[in-house]
Amino acid sequence: MRKDDISLDNCLKCADCNTACPMVTAHPAYPGPKRLGPELERMRREGIECDSDWLEYCLGCHRCDLACPSEVNVSELIARAKAMHKKTPVRKMRDWWFARPGLLGKLMTIAPGISNFALGLHPVRGAMSGVMKITPERSFPHYKSSSIRIPDAGTAKQGERVVFFPGCYIQYNEPELGCHVVQLLQLNGFKPEVASTGCCGVPSLANGDAVEARKRAEANVNSMVEAVDAGAKIVTACSSCGHMLKTGFANLLEGDAELEKKAEKIAANTFDLGELLVAQQDAGKLNTRFEPAATKLKLAYHAPCHQKSQGMGRPWYNLLRQVPGVEIVDLNSGCCGMSGTFGFKEEKYPVSMKVGSELFESIRNNAPQAVVTECATCQMQIEHGTGVKAMHPVDVLLNAYKESARN
Amino acid sequence: MKNVESNHFDVIVAGAGTAGITGAAVAASRGLRVALVSTGPGSFVLGAGCVEVQGIDRNTPSLEDAIGFFRGFTELAGCGFRGGLDETRLLPTILGSFQTVSLAPFYMWNGDPSAASQVAVVGIRGLSTFDSNYAAERLAYHASKLDRGAKYTAHEIELSVEEGTFPGTLQFGNRYDRDVYFREELRDALKPIAAKANAILLPGILGLKSGQIEIEWLENQLGCLVCEMATLPPSIPGMRLFNRLEARLRKAGVEIFAGFPIQQVQIENGHFKGVLLEAPARPLHLTSETLILATGPFSGRLLGASSFSVNRDLRPLDSTGAVIADNLYAAGAILHNSTARGGNAMAILTGYASGMLAAGVGVQYAQG
Repeated sequence: MRKDDISLDNCLKCADCNTACPMVTAHPAYPGPKRLGPELERMRREGIECDSDWLEYCLGCHRCDLACPSEVNVSELIARAKAMHKKTPVRKMRDWWFARPGLLGKLMTIAPGISNFALGLHPVRGAMSGVMKITPERSFPHYKSSSIRIPDAGTAKQGERVVFFPGCYIQYNEPELGCHVVQLLQLNGFKPEVASTGCCGVPSLANGDAVEARKRAEANVNSMVEAVDAGAKIVTACSSCGHMLKTGFANLLEGDAELEKKAEKIAANTFDLGELLVAQQDAGKLNTRFEPAATKLKLAYHAPCHQKSQGMGRPWYNLLRQVPGVEIVDLNSGCCGMSGTFGFKEEKYPVSMKVGSELFESIRNNAPQAVVTECATCQMQIEHGTGVKAMHPVDVLLNAYKESARN
Repeated sequence: MKNVESNHFDVIVAGAGTAGITGAAVAASRGLRVALVSTGPGSFVLGAGCVEVQGIDRNTPSLEDAIGFFRGFTELAGCGFRGGLDETRLLPTILGSFQTVSLAPFYMWNGDPSAASQVAVVGIRGLSTFDSNYAAERLAYHASKLDRGAKYTAHEIELSVEEGTFPGTLQFGNRYDRDVYFREELRDALKPIAAKANAILLPGILGLKSGQIEIEWLENQLGCLVCEMATLPPSIPGMRLFNRLEARLRKAGVEIFAGFPIQQVQIENGHFKGVLLEAPARPLHLTSETLILATGPFSGRLLGASSFSVNRDLRPLDSTGAVIADNLYAAGAILHNSTARGGNAMAILTGYASGMLAAGVGVQYAQG
C-alpha cells in the first residue's frame, strides 16, 4: 500500500492545512484542502460522486502538505481528484493548451517575431478572452528562438559533469537566462550540458491532465537516466521543474516498476542550482572572485512555493546575502497567486491577484530596487502586481563576478 | 564572502511548539546560528497558548528568568503576554467556564471578571461554534459563585460573509488580516454594544497575523476592552500567536525548516552529530553542535522512546538511566510527567533552560 493511502487516516481534522492555504486565506468560499483532500477522498474511495469545480482552484502550492502535523499528503489527494474532474468544454480546450507549454513553445518559436506581435494585439487578446477565456489583463511572455549556448571554457572541460534541465520558460522565453546558468556552472568548476528534454509536466498536472503529465515524466526519465547512471547530476533553475523532478515523476509512473526506479534515481540526483552552489560553498569550492560593489543593491527575496516544498532551506537567499553590495530581505509573505497558468485564466484572474495582495503589499512596504525569485511565473505576477522589476537570482550572482572571472 | 556552512548550525531545535520556539529564541538571542525543524505548529492550532504555573515548583532555578524572557520575546513579536508568576486570572472559555491562568496574550488577558463589571458577550449570527446566550448565562453563574461582581449580557451581531459561505472563524480571521472594510464593519457592529459595556468578549476572530497595532486599533476605536476566546480548531488566537512568534524568529536569523519530519537523529559515541530530514528526493542533512529535542508528547520514537527522564542539565536519559548524548537537551512535553497542569509553563522553563545550555550558559534545571 502506498504511503499516502495510509496517511489519509492520519488526518485529525485540526485544520492546520486550511490556515496555511493561500486560496482559503484570500477566497473564503473555497472549501479548503481539508475538505477537498482527506474528507472527500473518503467518499471518492467509496465511489461516491463528489466532483467539484473548486478542484480547479487548488494552486498546487503544497503549503498544506508542509503545514500538516500528521504527514498527510493532502495536495496529492487533491491532484488525483483534479485529474478525474469534469470541466466545461471551453475550459477543457483552453486547459489542453495550458497543459502543454512545451508544444506551445515549439509552435511559437517557429516565427517568434510574428507570435509576439500577434500576442500583443488587442483584437487577438480580445478573441482569446472571448473564445478561450484567457484574461486580457496580462501580457504574455515573449517567445525567443535562440538556443542555450555553451561557451567553450578551457578549464571547465575537466569539471564535474552536470546536466542542466532548462524547462519550458527558459527554453522558449528566456534562453539568455539559460546561458547565464551555464556560465555560472562553468565559473564554479562544473562541466555543464543542456538536457534535450521537453516540459517537466507540472503545468499538465496543474491543469488536471494526468495522462499528459505521465507522458512528460516518461520522456524525461528516459532521456536523462543515462547521464545520471554515468554519475552526472541534474540541475534545475526553475523551482517548479525542480519540484517535479524531485517529487513528481515516481508518483506519475506508478505501476511501471522499471520507470519508477529510474524516476527515483533522477529524483535523488536532481539539484536546484542554488542548492548545488551552497553544497560547493560547504565544500569550500564556491568561486568567490566577486567584484567589489560600486553601489548598494537593495533586493527583496520571494521564496516560490515550489522552492519551499523542496525542503532545502533557502539556498539562494543565503548565497545572495553574502554578495558584496547586496542588501536583501526575505519577504516571507506567502504565495504570489500566479501558480503558472492559473493566473492567465479569465475566471481565476481576480482571485489570483487577491492571493498575491499580501505579497504585493509587502514588496511596496520594503521598496526594493528589484525582487529576486527563482520562479518565472512568480516574476510575472510580481511585476504585474507591483510594477517592481523581478529577476532570477542567477542574474544577480553572475553580475557580481569580476569581468575577468567571467571571461 | 563569509565562510558560513549553510547546513551547519550552532544549534538545531526540533519542534515548533512553545518549548521549541522559546529554546530557539533564547539561543538566537545569545548570538547562535539556529535551525528550527518542525512539522506543524504544536498545540497552537488547538488552543491559545495561555500559561498556568500551578503545579510548578516555584523554587525551580531560572523560572523567573524564563518567564521574563518569554514576556519580552512575545512583546517583540507583537503578541505580548501579560501577567506573571504571582498573578492569577480567570479567563472565560466559549463554554462559559473560567480557566485559571497566570500569563496570557494581551488579547485574552482582559477577560477576567475582576477587570470589568459590565461584560458584553458577543456572538455572531450564524456562527455555529459559539452561543453567546449560553456562554453569558454560564459565565454569570460561575462569576456569582466565585463572588465576582461582573455582569454578563448576551449580544449578537451580524457580519457579512462571502457569497455561498457560512460564518466561520477562519473566514473572519483572514478577512480581519486582509480587508480594512471588514475591520470597520466589525467595529461598527460592536460600537453600540461597546457604549454600554466595559469589556467585550468575542470568539477569536481578530486575525491570524495581526499584532498589537491591529488589535488595539479595535479597542481604541471602541473605547472598550476586548477579549477573545479560543474556539474549535483552527484556533485563530493560537495560530496568530504561532505566526507572530515564527515571523519574529525569522527576523532574529533563525533558519526554519517546516514540513519535513526528522528521519534520524545521528548520535556517535554519546555525541550528537546531526539530523536527517525527510525531504523530497533525498534526506536533508543538517549538522550542529547541539540538539534541543522539543517534539512534544505525540512525536515518533526518535531515540527509542516517546518521552524521557532528564538529568539536572536537561539531558535525556535512556532506559538504563544513562545520558544519551552529551550535547543533547530535551524540552517541553517530551519530558516525563510534563503533560499535567502547567504544560506551557514547563515548556517555557525547559525551552529557556535548554536554549541557555546550548549557548553554554550554566543554567541549572532541577526537576521537581
